[in-house]
Amino acid sequence: MAETNWRRIDIDAFDPESGRLTRKDIEPPYSSQITSQEVSSKISQLRSLASSGDSKAAVALAVSDPPYSGDEATKNEYFKAVLETLSTVRQADIAGIVGDLTPVQQDALVKYLYKGMSVPEGQRQGGILLAWFERVTQVAGVRPVSHFINDRNTV
Amino acid sequence: MSQSLRPYLTAVRYSLEAALTLTNFSSQEVERHNRPEIEVPNTSAELLLQPMHIARSETEQVLIEPSVNSVRISLMVKQADEIEQILVHKFTIFLEQRAEAFHILRRVPIKGYSISFLITNKHTESMKTGKLVDFIIEFMEEVDKEISEMKLFLNARARFVANEYLGEFVY
Repeated sequence: MAETNWRRIDIDAFDPESGRLTRKDIEPPYSSQITSQEVSSKISQLRSLASSGDSKAAVALAVSDPPYSGDEATKNEYFKAVLETLSTVRQADIAGIVGDLTPVQQDALVKYLYKGMSVPEGQRQGGILLAWFERVTQVAGVRPVSHFINDRNTV
Repeated sequence: MSQSLRPYLTAVRYSLEAALTLTNFSSQEVERHNRPEIEVPNTSAELLLQPMHIARSETEQVLIEPSVNSVRISLMVKQADEIEQILVHKFTIFLEQRAEAFHILRRVPIKGYSISFLITNKHTESMKTGKLVDFIIEFMEEVDKEISEMKLFLNARARFVANEYLGEFVY
């Protein structure tokens, strides 16, 4: 103990009631954790909708009830499927699809757009994601963006 | 403005508008200090908000990191070849050495980006938030134009110099 500089020991870190919060503390509590099976069944549903050409239903399904409670691997798997769905939609259809989403779905869509632009897979399709983003802001303004900033439910 | 630039700038504009809602916030760690929470090693995760990445391509991106009393905005300027890399580096260094004159410019960009800005609650209290957003957007528009203009100028000058110099050896 003599070699550690005890004056520099951060004693607040050992106090559970110090009020300090880590990233883990501010995650919202989830009642149940979503499993990878549930997510993969949803992904296959997404794929079948997208391949049948019903892009409107596919996007609506993709952004409703995202797997917030899943672990990183599950979230990533689902995110890839969403990205695929978003990139198959034709530019002309985007405005109509976004207009029919509920505000909660729009918030989820914006989360996926930001996540898409933060990884190399999405950055390669930056133009498509930005087109989606522009349509969302035309419909909903700044609201989904400010919800994104403050929401601790990540996708 | 080109077709793909407009949605990019719109996305940055909306993201900045949402992020620039700053408040005066004293440090929770050090008494009587008031520091930009995004810049200091932070033990309170609740003060930092979700960072926003906006990417037009892999080489052209903006990262906006909001916190309770400060926002850090980092730009990655498009650099297609070595000449552009040098030009962007020289240009941003030139600006950063004069950072006081720009108020919101950060002296050192964060890793991986060409240039960074730091906006704190002091700035939003003394300046109009809308104009700050306009400044960033205008900067993004201008910097691309500036770099490509400099590249053209540089190439023209190099050609002229090479002509003059090597003309001596033509018989």
